Amino acid sequence: MPFPQPALSLIGPADLGPHTVLILPVRPGALPGDLAAAAAVAGFTGLQGKVLLLHAPTPGYAGRKVLLLGLGPEATEAETEAEAAGAAATAALAREHHIAIDGRGLPRSLSVALVLGAALRAWRMPQYRQGERTEDACLLDKIDLLVEDPAREGRRFAEAKVVFEAVCFAKTLTADPSNVLTPAVFAERLRALEKFGIAVEVIEGRALARKGLNLLSAVGRGSANPPALVILRWPGTLAAPPVTFVGKGITFDTGGISIKSADRMWDMRGDMGGAAVCAGAMMALARRHSPAPVSAVLALAENMTGGDSYRPGDVLPSHSGLTVEIIDTDAEGRLVLADALSYAVTHLKPRALVDVATLTYAVGVALGHEKAGFYANDTVLAANLAAAGENVSEPLWRLPMTDRDRDALGSDIADIKQCLSGKLVPDANLAAAFLSRFVGDTPWAHIDIGGTDARDEADARHPAGPTAFGLRLFDQLVALRYEDPDHP
Amino acid sequence: MLDVAFSKLAAPKTGAVVLLLAEDEQLSGIAGALNEASGGAILRGLEVAGFKGQKGKTALLFAPVAGLTRVLAYGIGKRADLKDSVLQEAGGSIAAALAAEAQVTIVAEGIPGADAAHIAYGATLRSYRFDRYRTKEKLEDKPKLAGIAVQVADATKARAAFVPLKAVAEGIFLSRDLVSEPANILTPTVMAERCKELTKLGVKVEILGPKEMTKLGFGALMGVAQGSVQEPRMVVMQWNGAGTRRARKPLVFVGKGVTFDSGGISIKPAAGMEDMKWDMAGAGAVIGLMAALAGRKAKTDVVGIVGLVENMVSGNAQRPGDVVTSYSGQTIEVLNTDAEGRLVLADVLWYAQEKFDPAFMVNLATLTGAIIVALGQEHAGLFSNDDELAQKLLAAGLETDEKLWRMPLGEAYDRAIKSDIADMKNIGGRYGSAVIAAQFIQRFVNDKPWAHLDIAGTAWSGKDTAITPKGATAYGVRLLDQLVRAHYES
Repeated sequence: MPFPQPALSLIGPADLGPHTVLILPVRPGALPGDLAAAAAVAGFTGLQGKVLLLHAPTPGYAGRKVLLLGLGPEATEAETEAEAAGAAATAALAREHHIAIDGRGLPRSLSVALVLGAALRAWRMPQYRQGERTEDACLLDKIDLLVEDPAREGRRFAEAKVVFEAVCFAKTLTADPSNVLTPAVFAERLRALEKFGIAVEVIEGRALARKGLNLLSAVGRGSANPPALVILRWPGTLAAPPVTFVGKGITFDTGGISIKSADRMWDMRGDMGGAAVCAGAMMALARRHSPAPVSAVLALAENMTGGDSYRPGDVLPSHSGLTVEIIDTDAEGRLVLADALSYAVTHLKPRALVDVATLTYAVGVALGHEKAGFYANDTVLAANLAAAGENVSEPLWRLPMTDRDRDALGSDIADIKQCLSGKLVPDANLAAAFLSRFVGDTPWAHIDIGGTDARDEADARHPAGPTAFGLRLFDQLVALRYEDPDHP
Repeated sequence: MLDVAFSKLAAPKTGAVVLLLAEDEQLSGIAGALNEASGGAILRGLEVAGFKGQKGKTALLFAPVAGLTRVLAYGIGKRADLKDSVLQEAGGSIAAALAAEAQVTIVAEGIPGADAAHIAYGATLRSYRFDRYRTKEKLEDKPKLAGIAVQVADATKARAAFVPLKAVAEGIFLSRDLVSEPANILTPTVMAERCKELTKLGVKVEILGPKEMTKLGFGALMGVAQGSVQEPRMVVMQWNGAGTRRARKPLVFVGKGVTFDSGGISIKPAAGMEDMKWDMAGAGAVIGLMAALAGRKAKTDVVGIVGLVENMVSGNAQRPGDVVTSYSGQTIEVLNTDAEGRLVLADVLWYAQEKFDPAFMVNLATLTGAIIVALGQEHAGLFSNDDELAQKLLAAGLETDEKLWRMPLGEAYDRAIKSDIADMKNIGGRYGSAVIAAQFIQRFVNDKPWAHLDIAGTAWSGKDTAITPKGATAYGVRLLDQLVRAHYES
């Protein structure tokens, strides 16, 4: 079913359509003279993110709507603020089909940030409806960036477009319903990355057991849709071990035998958001031809109740060799990640290993919807991740992972317990402590997006739905730290 | 309250202007003149906005003519389909769209004077805001709209038509105020005191306290009240608008006024319990209705009675299993102290039919969660032992967009409240529990023509509608005002 996202184009003055809605970014005190009277009565002064819609305000704009878009005074976080302003413009123009941002007179870094913010706000859910879109649906088909000379300096724009399309790819995977996106279909969709130079390896069926991926197999066992481990490899050009991302890809999570309550269970179609983030980041890196070698390991499974489901109390051998006592089949994410992390350490020997997962409810309780929790066994990696997150407005907050947490997972019957039962346990921290047992000495970080992976309602910057939180962060991390040929 | 003026048609020279435009009509008259003065900017802007006068469609232009700040075009659809409700919605939407302007001129060209009053009525209703407890709100965050001037060919007629509408709006505001107040402020005592203000409108107000009610034998109501340190009240409001003409039986309206409902010993879960401050919305509607009817000097005799209690937990609270004797003499086994509204209504309704020999009784109550499960928030539940009264209520609901949906009553439901120890118990099963609650109440109406409106789903709204800002809706005031006006004032 087709559900196109808005198309981004870089255009010159001659290409501006006669009825395209024109967005004029303005700074306070620098309003265009012919629109100053209208702006004055509307109280529009150019404050950051404020908008004013004008209908053919002068004869020169006959047949055209004009949106004044406030940039605010020049700021230090200029690009972040420009993204927010761009988002405010599309939020105000969601019912239009074709808009253009007038980037003439702005540095390209800012005009590109505007168009990226605008595009990200205009993402829309996959549409499975037959009739009209709902009244608050975004109808934007085309977003143009108008510059004096589109032939010059196209790189920034092209990179922003790549980021946008990668985010769309990841969000659409996350939003797709679980009857559509099974583990097999997910793996199949990842084949689309081959055309960008990414090698796609899928381990499924008997091979899973043969390779010792027993936890992943066990989690997927209750479902008619079998699990898979997918390895994505981007070679890059630098001679260095890869940076490796690991994603949790539970295409639907009923909780298994420890079944969830019915309330909001539909949300669990997005429990593969971490894997989608990794896939999207790989797409962005490959399409912008990152020199860094990067790989990703995605653990795909559906956690269902079935006659052959794994049970609380079961003891399972993991890929790493450690045996795991199952306490709660709804804490399945850490199991599939444990195998994926261990597999990555063994087979990819990464220089840095970062996993991302909609892992716990506890992290949402702890940090809310704004910041994701993260854990690391390596201070430098932690600092780089935090900096990358700030740069792209995907902020992280470090949470503790202590020896006490590790000790608390001691089991009477196996090497390690999967989690603790009970309500007031620090489940996010315990999950991180659990995962830390499967990474050896590899510099590793774990990002829990259980609170940031989706939003119920649109706000000024984001549409409702999945956020692909972590995707731009991963891209940024690689760009910041792993692309310098002198310090590979 | 919004300052409303009506004046003759004349092209406005300053300020914010609203043009009410019908579907597919050319700009003419004042709209045409303003367009000309703008050098065609208005027409150019409307075209680009895709504005053709479609009902509810708007287009906002900034400073298109020297002197005018904003021009808002508002589509009223086809002139042939114009109804009061369309104009009310127009007024409400305009008030919301231009809340940033202090004063707005609405040009209602080609609209009959009496109809134009409904524009002002809608704007007034939408501009309500309960901000008594926002002490630090910045001026620029508050809506500024203070007044509207409606330009209409027959301004005199519009002015006259607005007088009763304004009175109803006053009643609605009173009701919304009461429902919005937190329960620590609005105790039964305070609420009764506020009813006293209706004496200014010529309403006779009588307040009964615990002593009087105990003496009368209000065992059901007093049982609910006994857990709270706040004393209960019953307020009887009489409006004698029929004058000296042939005395007719009065119309009686009864409201449930539980100023806070913790559930009592059968305590409610904590989540959402704050909503229970508006468990007095039935009483709030009755008080607002009395203010509306008296304010517009309705030509009929009406009695409004509200039972005001707070349902709390304490060492002296009523227990599940207690048996109380109601004013009617019937005994009630209280199996769930959170089914308290019906206990309050039982005594008040019996009092009403005994004391006033009413033409009919209509009671309003935020009575059951089951009615929300049944009907959602679009319709209130209507239960009645009288088809004619029910039909009139349903029609009034459609007229005012305070819609009702008829629900069943019947012997089989009534069996659910048989008790082993008393004449009845106060709950049946979970299934059909709104109906069972109505059956319970029916046992206290003594076969008088009666209707029960379960407004638990409609008394409070989480979102704005055209003429009702989110929060307390005052559901029932416009509905019952319409009922009275349509049938009982000739």
